[in-house]
Amino acid sequence: MVSTLMYVALSAFLFVIGVLGVTLRKSALMVFMSVELMLNAANLALVAFANQWKSVDAQIMVFFVITIAAAEVAVGLALLVMIFRRKKTTDIDLMNTLRG
Amino acid sequence: MTQLSWFIALIPAIPLLGFLLNALFVRNEKANGVIASLAVAGAFGAAIAAIVGLNGLDEASRQISIPLWQWLAVGKLDVAFGLYYDPLTAVMTLLITGVGTLIHIFSVTYMHGDARPRRYFAYLNLFVFSMLMLVMSDNLLVLFLGWEGVGLCSFLLIGHWFERKSVQPGIVPSEAAAKAFVVNRIGDAGMLLAMMLILSRFGTLSFFGPDGNSGFFSKLTDASFTMVNLGALGTVSVVSGIAFLMILAIVGKSAQLPLFIWLPDAMAGPTPVSALIHAATMVTAGVYLVVRNHMLFDLAPDAASWLTIIGTMTALIGATAALTQFDIKRVLAYSTISQLGFMIAAAGMGAYTSAMFHLLTHGLFKALLFLAAGAIIHGLHDVQDMRRMGGLAKTMPTIYRVYIVGAFALAGIFPFAGFWSKDEILAHGWFNAQAVTTTAVLVFSSLLTALYMGRQVALTFAGEARDHELHAHEHLGSMKWPLVLLAIGATLGGLINLPGLYTLHEWLRPVLHEPVELYTVGMGIFAGVTTLLAAGTGYLAYRIYSGAALAKIKPGADDPAHYYLGDIWKGFELGWGLDYIYQRFIVRPYRGFSAYVYDVFDVQAIDGILVEGSARSIGAIARLKSQAQNGSVRTYAFVFLIGVVLVVGYMVFGA
Repeated sequence: MVSTLMYVALSAFLFVIGVLGVTLRKSALMVFMSVELMLNAANLALVAFANQWKSVDAQIMVFFVITIAAAEVAVGLALLVMIFRRKKTTDIDLMNTLRG
Repeated sequence: MTQLSWFIALIPAIPLLGFLLNALFVRNEKANGVIASLAVAGAFGAAIAAIVGLNGLDEASRQISIPLWQWLAVGKLDVAFGLYYDPLTAVMTLLITGVGTLIHIFSVTYMHGDARPRRYFAYLNLFVFSMLMLVMSDNLLVLFLGWEGVGLCSFLLIGHWFERKSVQPGIVPSEAAAKAFVVNRIGDAGMLLAMMLILSRFGTLSFFGPDGNSGFFSKLTDASFTMVNLGALGTVSVVSGIAFLMILAIVGKSAQLPLFIWLPDAMAGPTPVSALIHAATMVTAGVYLVVRNHMLFDLAPDAASWLTIIGTMTALIGATAALTQFDIKRVLAYSTISQLGFMIAAAGMGAYTSAMFHLLTHGLFKALLFLAAGAIIHGLHDVQDMRRMGGLAKTMPTIYRVYIVGAFALAGIFPFAGFWSKDEILAHGWFNAQAVTTTAVLVFSSLLTALYMGRQVALTFAGEARDHELHAHEHLGSMKWPLVLLAIGATLGGLINLPGLYTLHEWLRPVLHEPVELYTVGMGIFAGVTTLLAAGTGYLAYRIYSGAALAKIKPGADDPAHYYLGDIWKGFELGWGLDYIYQRFIVRPYRGFSAYVYDVFDVQAIDGILVEGSARSIGAIARLKSQAQNGSVRTYAFVFLIGVVLVVGYMVFGA
């Protein structure tokens, strides 16, 4: 049986990949996917802990996360499409009109 | 209140009502003029009723004090808003309302089609009201209210055409108005200081007090022995100190040396306003003040002699300046200054009745001359330069006739009004005061008067028209009757104080206590000589300017006399350069100082450091902070990450 520690380590690994993707990638789509990766890393950790403690509480939390992520994807992708229509690019470094 | 008191109170009340009606309700040009004229005419009627009522009383009780209400009560200072009516006030109110009525009626035609008739007529009524308050008050503070009121109204009316950038001969109305106001303010300061000195010494500002014997007049005699040490300026008695301060006020308001500079520019207003300022109101206030406070000046011979000196010099300067002008109104303006000099000199010599007599006759003929000049200007479509006139005797016959009457009266030709009053002043100087120099200068000035009036009549009316582009025509309308009535007044005005009868002397005796003197043969000879000399010089000037020198008068050209006198003539023309002196030594240094203060305190300190400095420093801080909002999503995410790491790190390892 794989130990909980391994799950959590994998989860942390995925989360760091997500963080790096958000902070380093230029493409809005890639940033978006990295955010999803971070969410799912958190899901993995939750499931692992639920398995550890034999409790369903954390697993219910995972369902919530998946639901909210789906809604977020719908809104986020719609925004992304609109931005692309206007600017013909998804480079987030060019989206700085709110510069102070 | 008795019936007489009601009439007296009505005199200032009706013009005030007219002012309020016009200012608040009436918006129709014609109605404005009618209401304003009726208001002053009503005041004139009340003044006549009041003087008749006063005449019915016996001489000792001809002083009526009407305390209307308590105005100010602060500590020991208790000022009643009260009217005072005695023979002196009576003749002043008659002059103000009588001449004022004619000027109002004249204005109806003159101001027809003006852009702001409502303003004009409302202010005209306010002007008359202020002047009436000035002469009818029973204490100095209410007098000061009127004193300031006429100053304000002169400002408003001189600047009536404030939108015009320049009127003939090159005066900016708004600047002329401001000049009149500021110069008057210097005099007002003297008036205020005199009032403060009176208040601090006598504890009251009332002339006579409620019982007729508790005002500051009754306390003057004691105070004339109290001395005030002014250090390097010497020692003067309290009374002299008050008198000198009042002289400052008189010099400002009555356009005397050295503050007369505002009056020649005051003609920037409509001509009837000039007539009102020069004849009925405003400039006579100073003379009235001397006569009203004659007890004060009797007890301060040093101040009175200064009055004589100032008046004499002003008479001379005004006459020489009037001689050299080409603007028809400017001649009259300087002439007013000169004639006021006569009055002030007479008052300084103690001839208060003569001063009042000249004030009254001058009011008549100067109003006549100004209104006639206004009618000429009206008929020539705003041409005031006499070099462009000539030959108006044919095209404007009525104006010509009344103008001749006015000119004779002003020049002091027998038997017109000015002869009697001016002769009385000169005779007083020669026989009573025995002031040879003063009388000589005054006689010389009166000869100059004849000279400049002869010159003006010749330039305006004699010969042929010099400028054929002007279509001179006489269209008088409502302007005719005021001119005719004033011409009658200027002819017969001398009747009020004929030698031997001395009606005005008798009338004013309860106030002024001047003994009536016998008319001697010497006085008759003196009068004959002066009037013959005046007639001679006037005729001479007329001959020169309608004959020998006529060919040299061209629009824009210098006067022929300029060729012989050169810069002296030029100096006369500029009013002896007082304007220049003020410009050079007061206005320009003041402007320079103001510019410096403005630059250092306003621009650099207040604007630079306080206002803009605070704004700029906040702006700098804001710019620094706004660097954080660079609009880059990745930066935000990174900062957010750091924040999360710190918070989680704190929660895991910290606490």
